[in-house]
Amino acid sequence: MKKYFLAAALLGASFSAHAVAPGGPGCGWGNLVFEGKSGMPVHLLATIVNGTSGNATFGMTSGTNGCDTNGSLTYSGESLLSMNGVLEEVAQDMATGDGEALTALSVSIGVPSQERAHFNTVMRENFSTIFSHQDVSAGEVMQNITAVMQRDQKLAQYI
Amino acid sequence: MRCGFLCVLLFVFAGPSVAADFEHLARQPRWQALLHINPGATLRDRHRSYVDDDAFFLAADGAGDPLAELRATYDALRPAESPERCRFPARYRFLAEHLNWSDPVPFEHCAEYQEWRGAVHAKRAVLVFPAAYLNSPSSMFGHTLMRLDQGDDGAVWLSWAINFGAVTTEDDNSLFYIYRGLAGGYPGRFNLVPYVQKIQQYSNMESRDIWEYTLELDQSQIDWLIDHLWELKDINFDYYFFDENCSFRLLELVEVARPGSGLLDELRFAELPVNTVRALDQRGLVRERDYRPSKEVELQALSDRLSEDERALARRLADNPQLADQPLFTDYPRSRQALMARTAYRYVRFVNRKAARSDDVAGRSFALLTLMNRLPEVTATAAPTKAPPEVGHGSQMLAASAGQRGGDDFGEFTYRLTYHDLLDNRRGFLDGAQIQGLGVTLRSTESQAAELERLDLVSIRSLTPRDRFSKPLSWYVEGGLERTWAGRRRLARYVQGGAGGSWRFGALQPYLLASVRAENNSDFAPLVTTGGGGEAGILYDAGRWQWQLASAGHYFTNDVYRHRSRLAVQYALGQQHGVRALIEREGWRGDGDTEFKVQWRWYYD
Repeated sequence: MKKYFLAAALLGASFSAHAVAPGGPGCGWGNLVFEGKSGMPVHLLATIVNGTSGNATFGMTSGTNGCDTNGSLTYSGESLLSMNGVLEEVAQDMATGDGEALTALSVSIGVPSQERAHFNTVMRENFSTIFSHQDVSAGEVMQNITAVMQRDQKLAQYI
Repeated sequence: MRCGFLCVLLFVFAGPSVAADFEHLARQPRWQALLHINPGATLRDRHRSYVDDDAFFLAADGAGDPLAELRATYDALRPAESPERCRFPARYRFLAEHLNWSDPVPFEHCAEYQEWRGAVHAKRAVLVFPAAYLNSPSSMFGHTLMRLDQGDDGAVWLSWAINFGAVTTEDDNSLFYIYRGLAGGYPGRFNLVPYVQKIQQYSNMESRDIWEYTLELDQSQIDWLIDHLWELKDINFDYYFFDENCSFRLLELVEVARPGSGLLDELRFAELPVNTVRALDQRGLVRERDYRPSKEVELQALSDRLSEDERALARRLADNPQLADQPLFTDYPRSRQALMARTAYRYVRFVNRKAARSDDVAGRSFALLTLMNRLPEVTATAAPTKAPPEVGHGSQMLAASAGQRGGDDFGEFTYRLTYHDLLDNRRGFLDGAQIQGLGVTLRSTESQAAELERLDLVSIRSLTPRDRFSKPLSWYVEGGLERTWAGRRRLARYVQGGAGGSWRFGALQPYLLASVRAENNSDFAPLVTTGGGGEAGILYDAGRWQWQLASAGHYFTNDVYRHRSRLAVQYALGQQHGVRALIEREGWRGDGDTEFKVQWRWYYD
């Protein structure tokens, strides 16, 4: 039940991420495969003083700097997918069945490390189900992941 | 009221022993570190706190008087349920440990802190050094941040990044922005962001290699660091580009975790991120080192595994993923197809990383991903290896040379504040990148006492080779004073810059640049004379031997023509020494001078 709630939270977060285009001005990291638009990177000059623009972010109190559209609940992983650029990395890792983004996803979902290889294989085999089209949103992706996991004998318990 | 009374009472009863204790405590390295007292590392604010924010101090002169701050902190934190405890958990811990306070739940009333502390926990602290990347001079010194890992080795995407940076306003125009950044016009703050954002920024967007150094800190020390980080929330420091910058502040954090480590003992003029890494390494604070190649390096590594035909096909596949269904592609073994598909995908992502999302690019990316998913896995090969930045030569340099120009013997002495030129030992540096700041050369001849030969204010070169997958611009900009021909040899003030291309053929790297120059000297009639021209050259990288053959010429608006050609070679003697030989011909209409010299270069710091 808790896990289900978690997935729902993820979904909710992704909706809010859609409402606010991921990445504010000066925060778009490039052309994403999936979701959203990105602003022109204006941070190149910012490198010189390692600048942060406007409000500094500070973990839980973030959400104030366009980069981090969903401050507080983030980061134990719920809204990982809706963070700028992450969906793209997850897609790439999922297509090939390996990578840090996929690891982060499995950890945030709560798949223990001994099941990780299995999780990766299942994700790879179901890539085209999970990423069903090029305009897929983070919310749909999470829904699809949940559905795939539910059909899998070993992974169903982590939903 | 009750609190005030209690404090006074405690103070009276504790009497002289506590007073003595206070003086002793205020001198403790950890207390000094918690207040960010400058132990003499920089000239500004010696023995005062670096923090430039009244909110950080409880005593009126807390910034300059650690003892007064200690007393005020004692008074404020002693009462249970004191709201100040929620702001200063590390200070509380310091006092509680030394004075044997035994409140089992000292922060029970601090909901916000507790929530934050619950989310921010770590088993490992890692110093992260995104190395320089070409085409961005400001990045050439690199940058540092700290990463807090929650534990699982493979899940660094879930880690936090502690970053110190200037807080700027968006409407500043860029020149003013740089000026203020250098002059300390912006406040600096710590911030805490998901590390994944930093990977996106550095590894993907800017294509920088990232070096990661796991710090030798145990759990208790890491907890000190995190507790203290909370105290720095929304607290302003001064930000100075050269010394009190991101790297310097991270050393202060490490000092809180491991007081007395001596990281800030030496006076420094400028804090380069690479020196931060060296400082930590030399004091045994680095446990482990990892290398995270940039997307560009990964693409290059994939491309290197392809034959020339496969590379060409991968490039076409990137533009037109439908090729994957044709025999042209399917005739290759499936493992080769997989390698090409991955290369094509990485290429599409790489070249479009800064563009706005378009259906075309997204469509091709998606098609290539689907193709990759159908094909077998690409066998991993060892990650590309590079020498880490801290094994590179020192950032400052002294050099002595002897030579001859037009029959006149001369001796020379050179000092360079920073950092690297194209012939210096490449180990630990970015290929094809040069950044020099503040170099002075004095020359004396048999007939003349020492005089200024040249003064480089700044000299930046970025020569990135073009290939099938990447078409970067090569460019340079430099300015300062140099002796050159204008009726006779004179000291000229100049600015010059250019752009063009560079290519790589094995160890050879030719380049071709168009350039413009603006010059002021006492012979040319206009105050500023401008000229246009070009430069052609070739670099040869033979390990310890670095060669350069180059020729540059300018034609000026006052009909003066001047060119300079040189053949130079440097032999690296270990990390910190090099011998350079150089023969140079400077020519002008109708005549010219030839100079040769041998130079000993010693790098340090």
